[in-house]
Formats: sequence, C-alpha cells, structure tokens
Amino acid sequence: MAAEVIPRRPTLLLIVVLSVLFILMSLSSRTRYIGETRTLAERSVMTVFSPVPKVVNLIGGTASDMYHGYLDMRRAVNENLQLNRKVATLTAENLKLRQTESDLRRIRGLLGYSEQISMQTSLGHAVMLDTSGRFKSLIIDRGSDDGVTVNDAIVNANGLIGRVILTTKDMAKIQLVTDANCSVGSLIERTRRQGVLRGDGTNAAALHDIPTLADVKPGDRVLTAGIDGIYPKGIPIGAVVKADQGPNLFKNITVRPSVDFGTIEEVIIIHTRKIPDPVVRYAP
Amino acid sequence: MRWLRFAIGLLIALTLHSLLDSFYPNALAFFDPYIILAIYYSMGGNVLGAIIAGVTAGLVQDAFSGAIFGLHAFSLTVCAYIVAYINSRLVLRGTLAFGACLAGAILVNELVIYILVNILLKQRIEMFEQGMLVKTIFTTLFGMLVYQLLTLFLREEPVDATKRSGGW
Repeated sequence: MAAEVIPRRPTLLLIVVLSVLFILMSLSSRTRYIGETRTLAERSVMTVFSPVPKVVNLIGGTASDMYHGYLDMRRAVNENLQLNRKVATLTAENLKLRQTESDLRRIRGLLGYSEQISMQTSLGHAVMLDTSGRFKSLIIDRGSDDGVTVNDAIVNANGLIGRVILTTKDMAKIQLVTDANCSVGSLIERTRRQGVLRGDGTNAAALHDIPTLADVKPGDRVLTAGIDGIYPKGIPIGAVVKADQGPNLFKNITVRPSVDFGTIEEVIIIHTRKIPDPVVRYAP
Repeated sequence: MRWLRFAIGLLIALTLHSLLDSFYPNALAFFDPYIILAIYYSMGGNVLGAIIAGVTAGLVQDAFSGAIFGLHAFSLTVCAYIVAYINSRLVLRGTLAFGACLAGAILVNELVIYILVNILLKQRIEMFEQGMLVKTIFTTLFGMLVYQLLTLFLREEPVDATKRSGGW
C-alpha cells in the first residue's frame, strides 16, 4: 500500500528526503567545529565502499611503481650504454697514454745513453726484425739520406745491437751481433782480456780467442774493445753465461747479449769514424 | 538488473573518483562522474528511482570527498528529481538530449551547492562561475561519450533499460 502511495506523491517524498539530508548536513557541519568530523552515517557509507578506493590505490600504486620501474630501467639501460661508451673511450685513451708514457721512458733512456757517446748519433725506429733464421737482421727507418752509412754501429740503452750492412735512401739493414757472420772485437770488463765475439746463429754469441788460462767467470760483463774499426770502445755486449775449458788452447765461452732483440723499437745509430780503405788494405 | 547496473555504475564512478584523486587531484574540480550516473538513471522518467539514485550517488560522493556529508546527496537529488520529472512529461531520447539534460543538471547542481555552502558554512566558493563552466563542459562531453558507448554496446536505448516496469 505504501509502495503504491509513494510514487504517486513524489514531491512529498522529495521534500522528506531533502529535509533528512538537510538535517544530516547540519549535523555534519556542526560536528566539524567540535572535533568529530565524521558522523555515523558518513562512517557507515565509507565503511561499505572503502574497498573500492583501497583496491584502486593498490592497483594504481602497483601500476605506477611498474611504470616508474620501467622508466628507471630504461634510464638505467641508457645510462649503462653511455657509461660503457665512456669506459671504452677512456680505456682507449688510457692505453694510448700508457703507450706514450712507455715510449717517453724508453726514449729518455736512449737519449741519456746517447749523450754518453762522444760521436755523432741519431735516432731510428725498427721497422722489421728477423731473428728467426740463421741470419739475424733488423731494418730501421733511417737511410743514406739521414747520414747512415755501412758499418755504423747500432745500439740501444741496453747495449750493442749490431752494425749497418746495407743502406738505401730511407732505410738501413742491420746485422745483429747474434748473426753467425758477425764478429765484434770484445773484452771482458773485469780482466780487460780481449777476444772476438761471434754470433752463434741462435740468440746467443760465443767469445773466441780467450786462452784457457785467462780468468773468465760466468757473469762477467763483455764490452766492445774498439779494435775492429767498426764499434766504438766500451759498449756493453752481454754477460758470460758459460766458460768451459776448450779442446785446444782456447776456452769455450758463451755470452748472452744484453739486448733483448725481440723488444727493439728505437735504436741509436752511432756514426762511427771509418778507417780509410788504403789504411785497411795497407800491407807493408 | 537495473539495481545491478546502478551498483556497477556507482562502483565505476567511485573508481574514477579514487583514480583522479590519486593521480590528478585537481581534475575532480572539473569533472563529476556521480552526476552522470544520477542523470542517466533519471532520464528514464522514474521519479522514485531518480531520488534513490541521487541520494545514493550523492552520499557516496560526500563520504569520499571533503564536503559536508549530505551536500552532494542533496544537490544530486534535486537535479535527479527535476530531470526525472521532465522526462516523465516529455520524451527525450538520444545523446544530444542526454547531454542537454546533463548540462542543465550540472548547472543546477553547482548552484544548489553554492547556496547550501553559503547557508551552512557561511563561505563563498572561489572562482565559482569559471569552475561551473569548465565542469559543465567536461562532464557533459564525457557523459555524452559514455551514453553513446552504452547505446552501442547495450543494443537498446540506455534510458529504456532504466525505465521498465518493476524497477526501483
């Protein structure tokens, strides 16, 4: 009965509803000033519908976290890429600087050594090295145009490398002291005993013509004697590693060169004073 | 069925309210999903249903906003009643008619709120006219879009679905 009456009098219903709502509003506006900001009706509605904002916040928060996580990941990936590029650049730069530092140290050593030599010197770079066969040779980037002539001595900070055996305008071929055809007038630094050093075709050399009675011990330093008309006196050649009694009057002495031929990069060319041919060929 | 639709609509409105509150708090000053719901159910011309829709949607809106509890319920009930009353006398169908009703309802709603806030809190609403205009435009456009989508997906005039006998 009541359900049938209400729709026929909607205006009355509206007035009742609005009056109730107005009372509710008045209560609500009054409670705002006495500390309690939520009425019972308001709390009830909130309790019923509170799961919705909670779920929305949860989903929204998760979606936001995922989105920001994705953005952070993208940023991190880009940053990582940039850092990798930077690391590559810096590594290359570092290698270059290390190389430069190493070159500088080596060249300083060479210059320091070349200042000790009273003769005219110049600097050259090794361009080819052949120490694999019996004939040990080295090619440098200085030739006759740079004043390089046959029989110029070639050294580095560690000692004697060899001599020039062939020149072109811009290159020169060096015979290493370990070459089987190379002979150097040498002496034992400790005893000043002189002999002839010849390459043995491997990576060592043998000191010949040292009498069995001579005092030679492993570890003795061997220098150039300056008596062959090619090599200046006093250039380190190497050290005695073995000194045996030979089958005849002379000792068998093995010398390990002080230069590591596998690491030659820069060399000093000593423009030695050549003995004129008439003097060399003079026979009384 | 209509109760269920209304409940789902209310949940969607509350979800939109929560989302906007979380991510774009200022957007709620220009957009009101509850009034779209209330007016949609008032377009059927059922006055009793319109009053219930207005009260329910308004109370939920009040509970989750900082307003005095009952303020939006009051204003939405007034709007819903007027729209339902007009629709019980006239045959208004289609998206444009819904948009016109919605726009008018928003204006009335804002005016009622303005008056009630003046009476109960003795406060003036800052930038009332501008806020009302922007809210009317945005909410009306969004409401018309929703109405159009519902027309497409429900395969019948949405208003008719809220008007069958036995409802409310």
